[in-house]
Amino acid sequence: MKTRREFLRSTLLGASATWTVPMFVERTFADLHMGARDLATQPVTGKDGTILVVLQLAGGNDGLNTLIPFADDAYHNARPRLAKKEKEIITLGDHVGLNGSMPFLGSLFKEGNLGVVQGVGYPNPNRSHFVSTSIWETADLENRSSTGWIGRYFDNACSGSDPTVGISLNKTQPESFGAMKNPGVCLSSPELYRWIHGGGEKAQAEEFFASLNSPEDDDDSPVDGASIDMPAGGRTGGIEGESNLAFLERVAMDARVSSAKILELAAKYKTKVAYEGTPIARSLNMVSRLIAGGMPTRVYYVSHGGFDTHNQQVNSHDRLLGQLDRALKSFFADLKAQGNAERVVLMTFSEFGRRVAENASAGTDHGRASCLFVAGEGVKGGLYGKYPSLTDLDQGDLKHTVDFRGVYASVLEGWLKTPSKPVLRGDFAKLGLIG
Amino acid sequence: MLQAAPEEWTIFEAAHLLRRAGFGGSPDEIRLFHSMGRRKAVESLLAADEELDAFPLPGWATSEEAAAEARERVAQARELRQLTRDLSPEEADRKRREFRQKQQRTERQHSVEGQGWWFNRMLRTHAPLREKMVLFWHDHFSTSFQKVKQPVLLMKQNELFRKYAMGSFKDLTHEVVKDPAMMLYLDTQNSRKGKPNENFAREVMELFTLGEGNYTEQDIKEAARAFTGYQINRLDGTVTHNKRQWDNGEKAIFSKKDRYDGDGVVDLIFEQKSAATYLPGKLWEYFVAENPPQEGVDALGKSFRAANFRIEPLLREIFLSKAFYAESVMHNQIKSPIQYLVQMLKELELRQAPAAYILSAQQQLGQVLFMPPNVAGWDWGKAWINTNTLLSRYNVAGFITKGSQDDTPLANNDDGAMMDMEMDRKQMRVSNAMQRAAQRWEGPDFERIAPRELREDPEKLVDALIFRFFQMPLSGKERETFVEYARSKKGAIFTNKETGELCHLMLSTPRYQLD
Repeated sequence: MKTRREFLRSTLLGASATWTVPMFVERTFADLHMGARDLATQPVTGKDGTILVVLQLAGGNDGLNTLIPFADDAYHNARPRLAKKEKEIITLGDHVGLNGSMPFLGSLFKEGNLGVVQGVGYPNPNRSHFVSTSIWETADLENRSSTGWIGRYFDNACSGSDPTVGISLNKTQPESFGAMKNPGVCLSSPELYRWIHGGGEKAQAEEFFASLNSPEDDDDSPVDGASIDMPAGGRTGGIEGESNLAFLERVAMDARVSSAKILELAAKYKTKVAYEGTPIARSLNMVSRLIAGGMPTRVYYVSHGGFDTHNQQVNSHDRLLGQLDRALKSFFADLKAQGNAERVVLMTFSEFGRRVAENASAGTDHGRASCLFVAGEGVKGGLYGKYPSLTDLDQGDLKHTVDFRGVYASVLEGWLKTPSKPVLRGDFAKLGLIG
Repeated sequence: MLQAAPEEWTIFEAAHLLRRAGFGGSPDEIRLFHSMGRRKAVESLLAADEELDAFPLPGWATSEEAAAEARERVAQARELRQLTRDLSPEEADRKRREFRQKQQRTERQHSVEGQGWWFNRMLRTHAPLREKMVLFWHDHFSTSFQKVKQPVLLMKQNELFRKYAMGSFKDLTHEVVKDPAMMLYLDTQNSRKGKPNENFAREVMELFTLGEGNYTEQDIKEAARAFTGYQINRLDGTVTHNKRQWDNGEKAIFSKKDRYDGDGVVDLIFEQKSAATYLPGKLWEYFVAENPPQEGVDALGKSFRAANFRIEPLLREIFLSKAFYAESVMHNQIKSPIQYLVQMLKELELRQAPAAYILSAQQQLGQVLFMPPNVAGWDWGKAWINTNTLLSRYNVAGFITKGSQDDTPLANNDDGAMMDMEMDRKQMRVSNAMQRAAQRWEGPDFERIAPRELREDPEKLVDALIFRFFQMPLSGKERETFVEYARSKKGAIFTNKETGELCHLMLSTPRYQLD
């Protein structure tokens, strides 16, 4: 396993005059532009640190049928076809209970390792999936930030570290990873996470590949300020202000540095715990393998999609929550078996909740406040925040009682041990979820 | 009006136009295109001479066969109901499951065929701009097999996009509002009086016509009432407006009051200011560059409204503008996966590639035809690229250039781990079966692309290949790297295999990802 620094050092020192891999690599890295050289020589993040897993429920999870206010008549009245009966609920208190398809989370709650945050949202919510997701991922209510909240954590607390400080098990890079310096890496299948070249000419081909996939000091280095037409992305895990070519070169280098390492680690650990074949279970399985292998990764990001339940909601929603519950059950059992359970906290989020009343299609439309889960041995279990009133509504929607940035502040400060103010660009009351 | 570019142009500008307004071409095609001159070349794209039905649809996608199939399904369902009446509940359940599975198999097969059909059309068409616009509309009015589940409806929608490719955006929007695939995708078909489903009204304004922030929540709620009562006839795929399910009360939308229906809302929308600028902004991003300049969008907005929302004049203005050929614009767009694949095949002068492999490549690169991730379509630009998809691009290029003689996991990958959705996985299995047939892929004709005599002169060979793949001069160091490789192979061992390797190396570069 190599950090970016070690990778560079070994290839620089190992250079020889023959046509071998190191020669080309050496030739190229000697030419690295300043920005990339800085990035490449920073120390790596410690691999025994705490780990945060962020799990996105994409599509707007219906909080009312996840954390169910079973004792509230208004709930049953507003949802004649969707409301859960008391026997379909795992009671958590006098007022609320979990959807019955989540027995594992129910038991986690009873063991004191599940924090359930009620009424999470933000002021003047946006009901567009895309804008609202963006707001959650950037932690910027104006939706103008080109960096994500996790990316800013990397920039502030893990500056210049190994590209694998953040790993997203997704086909696309989450907006929350958008960073000024290091946006982490993205992979979906470790078996394919490498450059595959021709048979016999392997070494030589690799040499060219290395040479051609390293940043050069020509006209495309990152630029400060106005010399680029328009501020480029960051919204997609890119570095702000970077040209497309410089961006591609950097991604290519991050891919090279991380692929060998990830391949090696992912192949090493074989889990004894059974996981389902669902995408979310497979993603969590991979996260567990990488943790077991000793990746220096601080934040993993996984997604569980399908929560946009406008139509015939009951079956699909229960099924999705059940898949989530079983995936988490395997994941936490696996972490325990490895002896890493104490190092990991998992947090869910979704862009918004649904309206209180069901619609004509036995589904629910885009709403506002919802609930989220924070799970792990490091979590102080219990209910947090106040369940929003089902009768005092804002245009048919629940009013939020907890600002989601307070949850972020809690995990940043309590779990990742980093000041949250520079990351969240403001002070937000912690909820006491950790510890 | 945007400032126009002069008539004379360079071959690199011609190549740029052919890539952006189409899918690029071989060196010969580019030379021919350049010789037409800028204005004629643009006109040749806008008025391409190819019938709409030049590529016959797969049988199941034609109206006649689709109708017959639908009737057959209804008959079978009736039969099944009768049959199961006399069976035990378990047996009946099993029969029903079998019936469903059989149907799903057919649908998967059809969706794979539909994906192949369109991809091939993009590759072989003589109207590349039209196909590029169909892809634009598919992204703009996004719908997916995953939810619609009836491939024939998406094929029908695809034909609709082709018919209106460069026509009136307003007319197309009227059509899309009553398009069965779109209605199924956004759950419009059972939105009715009293309890409207807001989804459709929201996406029409947010994503299709006006853009976020150019309407109020009240507009959405009221428009949702107007969109009630539209129903699909599952037998023939026609859409009717059932007045009994329609909320015929008065609605206040954009401060106007009337008893609007869906068409009424669309007409109202096109009176809004941002209806004239929203789409030109998106077209600019699609064809020119991200973050369109405000003056540019405003200028195009004016032309767009004056042209009564017709697309063709707008495209002419863009492709003849100075801005389109700016240095900062050329070679600075990240290829979408579809663009990447089609263009690479054209540059390698391939008329086809193993269909199942192409589908699998789309999955790995993050853009599967007829399967956009959500109603907002795909994320473009830098979002196409991450460590994962970049390595996949390099490996796809390896397979296409060198064929299946290498043991590439990509070519026989059975692991569904990269799949997001159930449907993806099932489709993957279908494609895996087909993929085995693709194992004999022999790659491009290198005797033609890199003739033997050229291999005797490494510099000339490299320059020829650089023009083929990059259509721009490369910096000294980049070029030198390739020359060095070609030089080391010169002589007895410079076979097609080494040529393929050289091409793979050229395509395994950050630079090749840019158009």
